[in-house]
Amino acid sequence: MAITIKKIERGPKLTLWERSFVPEILRGMWITSRHFFHNMKTLTQEFALGGGRSKRSIMTLYYPEERPVTPVAYRGRPVLVRGANGLEKCVACGLCEAACPPHCISIVGAERDNGDRYPTTYTLDGAKCIFCGRCEEVCPKEAIVMSDDWAELCTYDRGEMLYDKERLLRPEASLARRLAFLRNNAFSKARYQ
Amino acid sequence: MDTAAILETGAKLAFVIGINLGFFAPVLAWVERKQSAVMQDRIGANRADIFGFTVIGLFHSLADALKLIFKEDFVPRGADVTMHRLAPMIALIPALMGMAVIPFGGTYEIGGHAVNLVVADLDMGLLFVFAIASVATYGVVIGAWASNNNWSMLGGLRAAAQMFSYEVTMGLTIIGLLMYYQSLSLVEIVAKQESFWNWGIIYQWPAFILFLACAIAENKRVPFDIPEAESEIVAGYFTEYSGMKFIMFWTAEFIEVVTISALCVVLFFGGHHCAFISDAGLVALFGGGDLGNILAMLFGVAVFLVKVCVLIFIQMIIRWTLPRFRYDQVMMLGWKMILPLSLVWILFVGVAILTGLMPTPA
Ligand code: SF4
Ligand code: SF4
Repeated sequence: MAITIKKIERGPKLTLWERSFVPEILRGMWITSRHFFHNMKTLTQEFALGGGRSKRSIMTLYYPEERPVTPVAYRGRPVLVRGANGLEKCVACGLCEAACPPHCISIVGAERDNGDRYPTTYTLDGAKCIFCGRCEEVCPKEAIVMSDDWAELCTYDRGEMLYDKERLLRPEASLARRLAFLRNNAFSKARYQ
Repeated sequence: MDTAAILETGAKLAFVIGINLGFFAPVLAWVERKQSAVMQDRIGANRADIFGFTVIGLFHSLADALKLIFKEDFVPRGADVTMHRLAPMIALIPALMGMAVIPFGGTYEIGGHAVNLVVADLDMGLLFVFAIASVATYGVVIGAWASNNNWSMLGGLRAAAQMFSYEVTMGLTIIGLLMYYQSLSLVEIVAKQESFWNWGIIYQWPAFILFLACAIAENKRVPFDIPEAESEIVAGYFTEYSGMKFIMFWTAEFIEVVTISALCVVLFFGGHHCAFISDAGLVALFGGGDLGNILAMLFGVAVFLVKVCVLIFIQMIIRWTLPRFRYDQVMMLGWKMILPLSLVWILFVGVAILTGLMPTPA
């Protein structure tokens, strides 16, 4: 078999001017200095001239003084909804308990005098939770929703991550944004009914 | 030497050392952090405070210094202790000595006494800078060898090869300039740049580009930082250094940035001259006499420092814009590109001066 020689093109052919790299280096320096002066301008407007955060072109936030606003679809720590009457909405049906992939929810249910069911204990192990949102999806009563709690969930003691009912309950008003989102969501239960 | 001369030299020495160690070294550490941050759309270090005042993160340099002073001064097992101690000094002291021959102002008549604003007015000032710069190489190589660490050794070898080759090239890049000014004395070179049209950058701009590239390579900063390439060999030659010794290497690097900038200002940007006013004109502008001379002196030093700061800024932009070269690319750039180019430039300048194309300043 005859030997064939295949010429391989290695990269684009550069002209002498391009190979000197000087124009490209200058272009790179122009880009970085443009960023520098633009950011310096906005920083001056923000701090020296009191324009405030709206003037900032740098994305970084001064955490923890400044907190990011999470998008409504964001899945933070799951919380229980405290209804307008001050009681939990949960009816201890146990669907979330069953749906939860890592089995981090455990519920003991009971009945009130008026026949309403409620959970006597509702424990959610924050150390196990994978923030999947299944509990929220299956709950028939909109009693558990994913909140926007994302910060400072870490503790020095693992026991503290075992959230009991009192620590899980949050007033309905503070969750209005998420609840409205769930109702209008393309996959919400409301659309299938 | 009479008392006045000793006092004068002492004052100039104190000024040069003070401004380098007290101002430029900490402020450059801050500038490097903040400028790189703002260039990359970040905020940068801003948390260190004294009684709640952060001064845009300026106290981080102070915090760094405090932390490093109190850190353990670690000498690895199997290291050559004497050499390990000596190396940072060999790196830092030449970096400071290079500033000695750089004129940061002109000559002024104060109280019937001529004050020449340069610590040592040497006839061969430029050669002195290069000679001293090459001593710094020993600090690096000795430090690398004495650490008894493979990464350090690799860094030291790279530093040795790189710094020695770029020294040759750096010397050649400014020979054209020397032919143009017909002097090796930095004071004389500055004196010849009184008119803007005699500034080195006008006729010698190719030499400026080549010189700046060589000088940055000589200082081992990005894009030529292969001796300390932290993604390949930990921290190169100073891997095994901690505490004050680490600061000394660090400070040496920053002071060399200042030296390079000062040298560029002196060689290419007219030193303390501000473009279109002569020294005598400036003194007259400030009313003449002792006061006029003192004001002109302060003004000249300020102009010089502003120019130095601009060049430092440019060096910082280069440092945070370009990625690191590969080792073979660094060597190729030095020997195969900058060296021939500087030889061609010498030839060109020689012909241009002989044919009168490039009028040499008187
Ligand atoms: S978010 Fe997922 S893992 Fe967490 S409690 Fe709900 S179902 Fe369980
Ligand atoms: S699915 Fe809803 S109602 Fe049922 S136990 Fe869980 S939180 Fe309570």
